[in-house]
Amino acid sequence: MKHKISVLMDGELFEDEAEVLFDQIKRDSSTHLDWATYHLIGDVLRQPDSIHRDISARVRERMLNEPTVLVPRSRALKQRVRTVALSAAASLLAVGVVAWMSLQISPEAAPQMAMQQAALRPASLQIQPKSNDYLMAHQEFSPSTDLNGGASYIRTVSYSLEEKPQ
Amino acid sequence: MRLWVGFGGLLLVMNAFAAEGQPTIDWLKTVVFAGHQTDYSGVFIYQYDSHVETSRITHVVESDSEYERLESLDGPKREIIRHHGQVWCYINHKMVQVDSQQGGSRFPSLLPGQLSALSGNYLVKEAGLERVAGYNTQVIIFQPKDSLRYTHKIWAHTDTGLLLKTAVLGDKNQVVEQYTFTQLKIGGDVDRAWIASSKGTGVSSKPTGAVSRNNPDVSKAGTPINSGWVVDALPAGFKKTMEVHRPMRGKHAPVTQLVFSDGLSAISVFIEPSDADEDDVEGLSSRGAVNLYRKVVDGHLLTVLGEVPSRTVMQVLDSVRYNGKP
Repeated sequence: MKHKISVLMDGELFEDEAEVLFDQIKRDSSTHLDWATYHLIGDVLRQPDSIHRDISARVRERMLNEPTVLVPRSRALKQRVRTVALSAAASLLAVGVVAWMSLQISPEAAPQMAMQQAALRPASLQIQPKSNDYLMAHQEFSPSTDLNGGASYIRTVSYSLEEKPQ
Repeated sequence: MRLWVGFGGLLLVMNAFAAEGQPTIDWLKTVVFAGHQTDYSGVFIYQYDSHVETSRITHVVESDSEYERLESLDGPKREIIRHHGQVWCYINHKMVQVDSQQGGSRFPSLLPGQLSALSGNYLVKEAGLERVAGYNTQVIIFQPKDSLRYTHKIWAHTDTGLLLKTAVLGDKNQVVEQYTFTQLKIGGDVDRAWIASSKGTGVSSKPTGAVSRNNPDVSKAGTPINSGWVVDALPAGFKKTMEVHRPMRGKHAPVTQLVFSDGLSAISVFIEPSDADEDDVEGLSSRGAVNLYRKVVDGHLLTVLGEVPSRTVMQVLDSVRYNGKP
C-alpha cells in the first residue's frame, strides 16, 4: 500500500489504479495518514522555509467526539473517591456506565466494519440510472424539496456521459 | 399581487423578530414560505464532483395552487412538471414516470417540531451578506453537531427570502453538491403558456404510454401502513415522517418505504423481497449529496438513501430489522 502511494505521488500510477487508491485514501484513515506523512516527508526533503502542518481541524474533530464518553465516567470516578461507604452504589453506577458506554460504542463499531467491507469494492460508484426511481420516491418527502423547490429534482434525472439515461 | 403585500407584511414581522430570539430559524421559515408562494423563473447550475449541469426552472402560483417546470438545458432533454402533489417526468419528450405525493399540495410543510429539532442537531448561524445572480443574499450556515450529517449553507434573497444558492459541505468543508442561480426573474411577467398544456396532461386522468404498459398502478399514491420494520440506529433528531407501501416501476410487489427527517435532510429506507438476479446491486453509491447503500438481508433487498454521509446510510441499513409478527 505504502509503495503504491509513493508510486502515485511520483505520478507513475495508472489512472484507474489511482482512482481506487484515492478512494481508499478517502475512506481509510490509516492510508490517509500514510498519504499525509509521505507529503510531509517530501516537504521536508525539499527544505522549504517553513513546513505547514495544520492539525487544528483534526484536534477539534477528536474533541467533538470525546465529551459524550468522558462526562459520565468522570462523574463515576468522583463518586468512588468521595466515600468508601458509597462504593457499592458507585460500582452499580459503574456497571451502568459500562453498559451505557457499550451502547455508545456499538453503533459506531458497526459502520466501521461495514466501511471495511465497502473498501474492498471498486467503490466511489455513481448511483445507477436504474435507481432513479428510488431517488424520485425519496425526493417527494425530502426537506430539500421544500427548501430548493423543484431544483433538487434535477438529481432524480441526472445523467452521466458513460451511462445512457433510461 | 395580494400575496406580495401579505408576504411583505410577514417579512416585516420576521425582521422584527430577527432582532431577538432565533432569527436564523425564522429565516428558514421565510425561505420555505417564499419558495412556495413566489412566481419566479431562472437558470441554475447543479454541480457535484466534476459534474456540472444547467437547468431552467419556472415556478408559478395560481389560485393557491403551484405549478413548477424544470427543464435540463444540457445533455439529453429531461423535463419535470410538478403540480398539486403530482410529478411528471419526461425524457426526450416521452413521459417515463408519474408520481403522487401524499396529501397533495403541502404548504408550508416544514413543521415547527422539525424546526426545533433542527436547532438541537445543528449550530445555525448567519454568515454575512453576499451577492448571487445580481441579488443581495443573507448567508446562513447549518453546522451539524455530529459527524452523521452534512453542513448546509444557504443564500437567501434578502427581500423575498427565495433561495438563490445552496451548498452541502462535507467533513473538511469541501463542497459535496451545489445549486446556484445564474439568472433569475422574481415575480412579474413569468411564462405561463406551458401551464395550459400541463393541465391538458390530465391531473386526474390516467397517464398513457410507457408507464401504464409497465405498471398501471404507478400513478396511485402509496398506501400509509405500519409495516413492522424498524430502524434502531438513527442519528439523533431523525423522526419518521412517512411509512407507505408504494408500487414501483419494474417491481412485482409493492415496496415498503420509510422516511425519516431531521428537518434539513431525509433518509429513505426501501424494503422489498429480493430477486435472485439483483445480487449485482449491493453496495455503496452516490450522486451529489445523496448516498445510497443496498444490501440483501434475510431474503429482503434493503435500499437506504438520503442527503447524509455514506457512514450514515450504512449505519441505518445495518440497524434495520423486522419487529412485526413473524
